[in-house]
Amino acid sequence: MAVIRDVMPVFELYQPASIDDAIKLLDKHGADALVLAGGLDSMDWLKDRLKKPKAVVDLGQIKELKGVKEVNGGLEIGAMTPLTEVVKHPVVRDKFSLLMEAAELVASPQIRNQGTIGGNVSQDTRCWYYRGGWTCYRAGGNICYADTPTAVNREHAIFNADRCVAVNPSDTAPALLALDASMVIRGPKGERVVPAEEYWIGPGVDITRMNVLAPNELLTAIRIPSTMAGAQFYFEKVRDRQVWDFPLVNVASAMVVSGDKIDKIRLVVNAVAATPHRLKNVETAIIGKARNEETADMAGKMAVEGAQTLRHNAYKVPLMRNLVKRAIRGGAGATWTS
Amino acid sequence: MDLLRWGRSPWGEWVLTHVSWSLFWASLFAGVLFFVAHASYMLFSAHRKRSTAETDALEAQFKNLPPKIERHGLTARLFHWVMAAAMFVLLFTAFLPIAGVKFAWVQWHWIAGLVLIASILFHIVHATFFLDFWSIWVGPKDIPELKAEMLREFGHDVPGPKSGKYPLGNRLYHLAIVFAGLGASITGALMIPRIRTGLVARNPYYLSDATWGITYVTHGLAGVGLVGLVIAHVYFAVRPEKWWITKSMVLGFITRRQYLEHHEPSRWPVGSKSSSAKSAGQA
Amino acid sequence: MADNKLIGQNYTTPDLVAKVTGKAKYAEDYRVEGMLFAKLLVSTHPHAKVTFDTSAALSMPGVKAILTADDMPGAAVGATLGEGVQASAQAERGLTNEPLYQGEPILAVAAIDEKTAAEAIEAIVVHYDPLPFVVDPIESLRPNGPNARTQGNVWMRPAAPPAAPGARGAANDARGANAAGTGAGAAAGAGTASGGGQAAGQRAAAAEGSSSSGRAAAAPPAGAAPSAAGAPPAPGGAAPAAGAAAGAAAARGGREGRGGRGAAGAPAPPQIAVWKWTDEDFAKAGPGQLPLGKATDEWVFGNVEEGFKKADLILDETFMTQSTGHQPLETRTAMAYWQNGKLFLHGSTQSTVQTVASVARWTGLTPDKVVIVSEYTGGGFGSKIPGAISMAIPALLSKKANAPVMMRITREDEHFIGRARPGILARVKLGMRKDGRITAIDMYAICDNGPYDAQGDGRSAGTTISLAYQPETMRWRGLTVLTNTPPKTSQRAPGGAQGIGLFEPILSKAAKKLGLDQVEVRRINAPAGHAPFGPALPNGKQAYVTSAFVKEALDKGHELFQWDAKKASASGKKQGRLARGIGVAVSPYSGGSIGFDGLFIIKPDGRITFQSGIGNLGTHSMFDVHRQAAEMLGQPWELCDVNFGNTAKNLPWTCISAGSQTAHAMTRAAHAAATDAIKKLQEIAAKAHGGNPDAYKVAGGKVSGPGGSMTFAQAAQKAIEYGGKFDGHELPEDINNFTKTSAKNLVGQGLMAVAKDAYPRDGQSQSFVVGFAEVEVDTETGNVTVIDYTAIADVGTVLNPRSLKGQLFGGSMLGLGHARTQRWAYDQQYGVALARRFYQNKPPTILDAPLNFAADAVGLPDPETPTGIRGVGEPPVGAAYGAIMNAIADAIGDEIFRRAPVSLDIVLNALENGGQRTHEALTAHI
Repeated sequence: MAVIRDVMPVFELYQPASIDDAIKLLDKHGADALVLAGGLDSMDWLKDRLKKPKAVVDLGQIKELKGVKEVNGGLEIGAMTPLTEVVKHPVVRDKFSLLMEAAELVASPQIRNQGTIGGNVSQDTRCWYYRGGWTCYRAGGNICYADTPTAVNREHAIFNADRCVAVNPSDTAPALLALDASMVIRGPKGERVVPAEEYWIGPGVDITRMNVLAPNELLTAIRIPSTMAGAQFYFEKVRDRQVWDFPLVNVASAMVVSGDKIDKIRLVVNAVAATPHRLKNVETAIIGKARNEETADMAGKMAVEGAQTLRHNAYKVPLMRNLVKRAIRGGAGATWTS
Repeated sequence: MDLLRWGRSPWGEWVLTHVSWSLFWASLFAGVLFFVAHASYMLFSAHRKRSTAETDALEAQFKNLPPKIERHGLTARLFHWVMAAAMFVLLFTAFLPIAGVKFAWVQWHWIAGLVLIASILFHIVHATFFLDFWSIWVGPKDIPELKAEMLREFGHDVPGPKSGKYPLGNRLYHLAIVFAGLGASITGALMIPRIRTGLVARNPYYLSDATWGITYVTHGLAGVGLVGLVIAHVYFAVRPEKWWITKSMVLGFITRRQYLEHHEPSRWPVGSKSSSAKSAGQA
Repeated sequence: MADNKLIGQNYTTPDLVAKVTGKAKYAEDYRVEGMLFAKLLVSTHPHAKVTFDTSAALSMPGVKAILTADDMPGAAVGATLGEGVQASAQAERGLTNEPLYQGEPILAVAAIDEKTAAEAIEAIVVHYDPLPFVVDPIESLRPNGPNARTQGNVWMRPAAPPAAPGARGAANDARGANAAGTGAGAAAGAGTASGGGQAAGQRAAAAEGSSSSGRAAAAPPAGAAPSAAGAPPAPGGAAPAAGAAAGAAAARGGREGRGGRGAAGAPAPPQIAVWKWTDEDFAKAGPGQLPLGKATDEWVFGNVEEGFKKADLILDETFMTQSTGHQPLETRTAMAYWQNGKLFLHGSTQSTVQTVASVARWTGLTPDKVVIVSEYTGGGFGSKIPGAISMAIPALLSKKANAPVMMRITREDEHFIGRARPGILARVKLGMRKDGRITAIDMYAICDNGPYDAQGDGRSAGTTISLAYQPETMRWRGLTVLTNTPPKTSQRAPGGAQGIGLFEPILSKAAKKLGLDQVEVRRINAPAGHAPFGPALPNGKQAYVTSAFVKEALDKGHELFQWDAKKASASGKKQGRLARGIGVAVSPYSGGSIGFDGLFIIKPDGRITFQSGIGNLGTHSMFDVHRQAAEMLGQPWELCDVNFGNTAKNLPWTCISAGSQTAHAMTRAAHAAATDAIKKLQEIAAKAHGGNPDAYKVAGGKVSGPGGSMTFAQAAQKAIEYGGKFDGHELPEDINNFTKTSAKNLVGQGLMAVAKDAYPRDGQSQSFVVGFAEVEVDTETGNVTVIDYTAIADVGTVLNPRSLKGQLFGGSMLGLGHARTQRWAYDQQYGVALARRFYQNKPPTILDAPLNFAADAVGLPDPETPTGIRGVGEPPVGAAYGAIMNAIADAIGDEIFRRAPVSLDIVLNALENGGQRTHEALTAHI
C-alpha cells in the first residue's frame, strides 16, 4: 500500500453539545476516536493521514468547556477556552500574569485565537521523527530515531529520556505547573481531579502518551488555586523565531519573597523533557535564601545537574541554566509578542 | 486477532515491531488453566503412588547409604535462585506495564536481564564441567520412563523404571526453559545497545529494520512463553508430592528414602560426580 | 530626471486592490466544468527503482486516469530550469521510475475529488528496490562514498574543444568562463542568431542552434522557443552574476553547448562522473577544514602565488552555507484543460511569455499549442522562472482523462518539488595588505547540487566575490556534487548570496586583525566603473560591468547608518548579558539583460494599451517598465492600460522575470517602442499637417508643430487610415517572431508602437547593494536581535521608489533568514527530510525583521542603458546575509561560527566554549 501524506481521511464527525455526550461517544468508539479541540495538533495528524480515526469528536459546541470562572480566590478555566481569551482575562492578567505571559508567547496570534488552553497543555510532542510518521517507540515501534549516532536532535530532551527523547512543547504547561494548578478530568466513571504534577507522564511510564488521559476521558477544566496569586512571576521562552515557533527551552517561576528572602517558589522548565520539568531540588535548596546573583547562580547550576545531552542539543544545558538564573533574578520578563 | 504487530519503516515499508500483547494474556491463561486442570485431576483422579513396601525393601537393601544424599550443590542452588529472582523481575517489569500497572520499568528490566544472562553463562560452564552434564537432558532412553509415568498418572500400578537424578518432568521442563530462556536472553542482549545503559555505545542501527523486527518478535514470544512456563514451574514446586524436590533445591539434599523411592540407583549412582560418596550427613 | 512625472515617482499598481481584497485569482482559484483533481504518489526512498500495480486504484469508482513516467516526454533538453540553468539529457521529466530523492513524484492520479485520489494512491501497490544514496556532498567524495546517481556523483565539463571559428570559440570559452554573453560582441552574434534574447549571448546563439537541429518545424513562436530557452540564462548575459551565469556556465557551459548541438565549436555537454577524494586528502585537511581534493572545475586570473606573497595577512577558513527552500507562499499548483488541440494552463509562474517554451518542452508540444494563464503569482524567488516542470502533470493528465485537471500542491509537496538554493561548502584563502587591499583569493567551493541538472552556484559564488572585492589575483576551484535531496535551482542571487555570505565573515576577520575599519576595507576594494570580474578570458582580459557606484553607496550608507557613531557606541560593546555589534557587506548581482521587444498601441480614444509579457510575481515591474514609455510620450498614467497574465493576449517577446533583468531589459524595450511611437506620431502629424516630421514635438498627449497639432486620439485614427507600419500592417524586421505573431493579431487598432531593444551595451549589467546591520546578542540565550538595518542600492535611475524599497526589504529579509534561522534537515541514515514545514525549516517572520529598517538608492544612472535603470531583486540578499553575520561576529567574536544559519545553539555553545566554535564544520543538512 503506497503512502500519501495528504488529504484528510474519511471519518464520522460528531459535535456533541455536552461533556457527557462527548464522553459517551469517546467511550463508545474507544481507540477509534480522536478528540478535536482547537485542531492545531489534530489536523496535522489527519492531513498527513497518520491517524485515521473512525470518529472525530469536536468539542467546539460544548459551552460548559469554555470560559474563565473565579473560584474562591483562584480560577477555573474551561479546557476549550481559546488562548487569546485566557490572555485577555482581567484576573489572569492581574493575579496570574505568569499564565498570561506564557499564553501570549504561544505560536502566533491566529493560532492563539484558535488554539485552546486544554489543547495546549495536552498537545502531543513535536519530535520531527515521530511527527514524520516514523514508527518509533512513541508510535508503538521499538526504536527512537531521534537518539541515534546520525540523528538530528537539536530540539530534543536532556532530562528523563527513557528510550524516547521527545520533549513537551507546551508554553502554558510549565506556567500552570508553577501555579500549582490541577486538572479536572471527566470519564465514564465520573470526575477526577489530578494535580498538574501528575498530569503529564514521561516515556518511562508510558512511551506512547504525553498525559494521563485515557481514550475515554476528557480534560474539562484547569483549576488554579489562590496559592500563588499575585506572587512574583517570571516567564521566558527562547525560540529561533520571535513568532510562530515552539520553545527550545522555556522557564516559569512563581516566587513569594519577604524582604530579600525567598519564602516560597515553584520553578518549572519545559522543552527539556517529555513532561514539564519541575525543579524541586532547586526549589528546596533556595527557599530561605536571599534572592541575589549568588542564589541565582546556584539555582542555575543545580538545575542542570544530571542533564544528558544528545548529538545536537548540548546548548540546552547552558540555555536552561541561564534561564533558571534569570527566573531567580527576575526583572525583565518574556520578550513581548502579539 | 493479529498475533504480530507491524509498523512502517522510515521508507514506508511494513516491518515487524512486536508480538501482539494479547499473546501475553493467552500464555497467562494457559498457565493458569494448566494448573487448575492438573490440580483438579490430582485431587479427583486415582493416580497411583509407588507402594511403600517396594521402597521399604529397597531401603533394607541399600542401608549402607547415608541418610542424607546431596541433590543440588550450593553453587547449583545459588544459580537456581539467582536466576529465578532475575526471571521474576524480568517478567514483572515486562508485563505489569502491559497489564496496566505503569511505572519506569526499563532500567530494572535490562539490569535483571544482564543478571540472568550472567547466571546462565555461569550455569552452562558449571553444568558442563562440574556436574553430570547429561543427567538433565532427555533422549530415547527415557521412553520406558515416560510410559511408566503416564501409566501411573492414569492409575495403573507399574513397577520401575525410575528416573535418574532428574525426573523426566524436570528434564522436559528444563528443555523448554532452555529454548525460551535462551531466546529471550540472546535477543535481549542484542537490544542493550539500543537503550541508554552507559555500558556500550548506543547504536540502534547495527541491525536492519527488518532484523530488529524479528529480534523483538522473538523476544516477545519467548517472554510470553516464559509466563506460562514459570506458572507451571511454581505450581509443581508447591505441590505436596513434589515438596521433597523443592526442599532439596533449598537445603541441597534428599533423604535416603526419597532417593530410593524416586530414583533408580543404577541411573543415579550415589557417589557419582554429581553427589560424591561422602554424604551430606557425614560431612 | 527631476522633471519626471512617472519615472522615480510612487504610484499604486492597477492590481494592488485585487491583491489586498482577495479578488485576485491565483491558479488554485479557478474552477472549470467537470474539473478533476490530481494527487501525487511520491517516493518514500531517497534513491530506488520503482515498480507498481495500479489496477486496484484504477478500478475504484471516481478514479479517471493515472499518469506515469511512461506518459512523459523525454528530458526537455534546453528547457529553462532556473536562472541560467537549462535541462540536460539527465534532466527530470516530472514523473520517474527511478526516484532520486525522497518526495520525487512517481505517478499522479486524477479523480473526481481529492479524497478519492488519495484513497486511490493508497490502493496502489508499489515496490522499491533501494539503490545507494547520499544526502551530504562530503560523504559522496569519500574514497568509498556512495553516489547519488548510478552514473556517478559529480557534474563535470569536458575540456573545452579547440576554439573553432574564432569569435565563437572565444565567446564560448568566455561564456564557459562565465563572462556570460561577454559583452555586446557575443550578444550581437546571439541576437541575430536567435532573433531575441541577445543578452543570452552565446547561450541564445547556441539555443538557436538547437531549434534548427531539434524542433525545427515549430511555428513562429517556436522560433522563439529555443531562444526562450536561451534567453533565460540571460542572467548569464546579465552576468548575473557573474554568478548564475558563471556557475551555471560552469557545468552549464555545456548546457548551451547542448542547446547548440551541431553548432561549431560548442563545448560538449557536462557529464556525470564518479569523483572521489583520497584518504590523504581528508587527512591533510586540518580539523574543521575542507579537504582540498582534486576539483573538476577551475578558473584563475593573475598570479595568485605572487598575490599571496604581497599579502601582510593570510587567512585560510572553511565556511558552510545551508540549502534553503524557496518556499513561495503560493505553492506550484496548476490547472489544465485542452481546447481544439491547445493546452490552456493556469499556473503559478514568474514569467509569462517565457513560460510558453518551457511548458511546451515539458509536455512535448510546440509552443504555438500552449496558452499560459497566470495573472497573479504568489512568489517564486527563482523556483518558478518558467513555471515548473510539475505543470506538465495536470497538463498531460488532463489529456489522458479528457477532462480539466487541477493539481493542488501542499506545503509538504512543495518542500520536495519546490526547489531549493544549493548549500555551498567552501574554503577560502585570503591575502590582504596592511592597507586592507585584497591581493589574492584562493577559493574552493563544493556545491550541493541535488540529483538533477548542474547548478552554477559554486562558480557564481566565486565570480560574485571577484566582482564585489576586486582582488588583485584570484583562483577558483570547485565541484558540483550530486546528492539525493530535492532538486536545486537558482534562488534569488544564486551563488551570489552564498558567496557573499561565506566570504564576508572572513573578510571582516581579516580587517579586524589588521585593525582596519570595515567600511574602509570594503571601500578600498570596491568595484568602480567598468569593474572587471571572473576569470581571465583567452584575450587575457576579464569580463567587466557596465558601471558600479559602490563607493558612493558605501559613503551614503556610512552616513545614513551613522556608522562612526555606532562604531563608537555599539561595536563589540557589552552591557551585562547583552553584546552589540555592527557589520557591513557589499553584494553585487545581475542587473539586467538586453534585446527584447516593446509593443503598445495608441488607441483612437487616446488611451494607450501596453502589452506586457512580464510575469506578475509580486514585483511591480510588470507595470513599472511601461511608465518609461508613458513618460517619454507625456501620457498621463490614468490614460494607460496594461494587458498581462495571459499569453493569448498577444504579448511581445519578453525577458524572464528573474535575474533582476526586467526593470533593465524591459524599460529599454519600452524606450525603443516609445521612440518608435514618437517617430510615427511625428510622421503622421507631418503627413496630415505638412512639414518636416522632426519639426513636430510630442508632449502632453499631443503631437504639435508648424502645421498645427493633433491629439493622440486623432493620431491613432490617422494611423488606422494610413495603415502600413502605422497600425501594424508592416512590422520591423528585427523584432522576435513571438512579437511578430502578437503584433499581427493587433493590426489596425490604432498607432502600433513596436520595436526591439537594439541599444548597445558595453559590459554586463550588475547591480549592487550595500548592507549595514546592528545586532544585539543575548549572551545567556544566544538570541540575536537585528536592531538596525540599512540597505543602499546602486541600481541606476530609480524607477519606482516604493517598489525599490519593497525589493530591498524583501531581499534583506531573505538574507536575514539565511543568516539567522532558515535551515534544511535530513536524516543521513535514511536520506529523508525532517524539516518539511515552515515551523521546522524556519523562514524568518515579521517579528524577526529589523526593528528599524532604512533603505535608499545612490540614484546615479547607468551610462550603458538609455533609461539609466538597472534591476534590484537579487543583490539585497547577500548584503543582509553578510552584514548580519558580520555584526554577530563583531558582537561576540570571529571564531563563533563558520556555518549558516548562525542559530542560537551555535552561538551559545561557542560562548560556553570560550568563544571557540563547537559546531560540526562539514556535515550538511543538520
